[in-house]
Amino acid sequence: MLLLGAVLALGTVGIAWATAGLAPIVHARQSHFKALGRAAKSLRDQIGRSEPDWSIVASDAREIERLAAALPSWFPEGSGRGHGVKTRARAAIWAKPQEFGQAARRLLNRAQDLTRAAATRDPRALALRTRALGQACGSCHRRFRARSSWW
Amino acid sequence: MTAEAPTNGRVRVWDFPTRLSHWTLVSLFGVCWWTAKSDHMRWHRIAGYGVLGVVLFRLAWGFCGGQTARFGDFVRGPAATCRYVRKLLGHRGEDAPAPIGHNPLGALSILVMLALLLTQTTLGLFAVNVDGFASGPFARWVSFGTGRRFAHLHAATFQLLLAMIGVHLAAIGFYRLARNESLVPPMIHGFKSRAPSGVVPYFVPWWRALFLATGIFLFVALLLSMR
Repeated sequence: MLLLGAVLALGTVGIAWATAGLAPIVHARQSHFKALGRAAKSLRDQIGRSEPDWSIVASDAREIERLAAALPSWFPEGSGRGHGVKTRARAAIWAKPQEFGQAARRLLNRAQDLTRAAATRDPRALALRTRALGQACGSCHRRFRARSSWW
Repeated sequence: MTAEAPTNGRVRVWDFPTRLSHWTLVSLFGVCWWTAKSDHMRWHRIAGYGVLGVVLFRLAWGFCGGQTARFGDFVRGPAATCRYVRKLLGHRGEDAPAPIGHNPLGALSILVMLALLLTQTTLGLFAVNVDGFASGPFARWVSFGTGRRFAHLHAATFQLLLAMIGVHLAAIGFYRLARNESLVPPMIHGFKSRAPSGVVPYFVPWWRALFLATGIFLFVALLLSMR
């Protein structure tokens, strides 16, 4: 009985220790993605205006490009679903690393296109590049993120 | 059953705008559900605007439509509702004639359902998705975090709506099995086969609905053009 208790306690401690290492990784990832979403929304809000505030557009585009470049590093092996911390990161991310890498590169490319479009101050190019960026987000989420894009 | 000899034939209970509102809501709810699941946000928004319009129409129709569509006709106070429930459960009480249109319990569910749908569409107008690339028409007026909160509330209200629909369907089943009353066909063709009290409800001319629908369409269009 005592032994069982000790084993259980040790097991719990072990799981707690493992998730203690994982939780900050997952939470940091979530806050990075929130920053990405915040910048994307801010950008789209500017596009909806008759005359976008180009300084906001430029800073949003820079932020998105910076985050897109860092994105692959947010997914260390073993930080997906089923490791004890609630996350929507699917196992496919690590099962198909090539595909995931490609999707991440696509995002970065489109973010760079966006930064260039922002620098030209051409509203049509900006709208086009923003839409392309959104498609990169969406197609990756459909494959590698669990559930619909609303929750 | 207390009714004496029922009047022969059928009696009209639901006017066309009420029935059309009901079935349009059913189909639009289905469209909204499916488009949200499959991330077809353009269509989700359009269907959502439709729901908003139909709910507003039904609310207005509750004040100027046919007798059975009017809130004043079917919304009852707590005492009348309790009496109805007691009668429904088989307790002998004073025999109030069964209402020709919605019963007091149905009235409650209509109020809750319309309130939930109005809440749901309003929440949707401000909702933002995870990547910030899909949003309701008024999302620009709120921050990303607030828009996400709207989206989560939108999801919670959806669960309440599902529960409400479950209650609604269960009630239909109860009336069918326990009281041998079919509620679905009258909501399709508008007639009930017998009038328990011999009462014939009044209706209003069709152009009133057309007039109202046009007004509400313009209102929703104007509302959305503000974004």
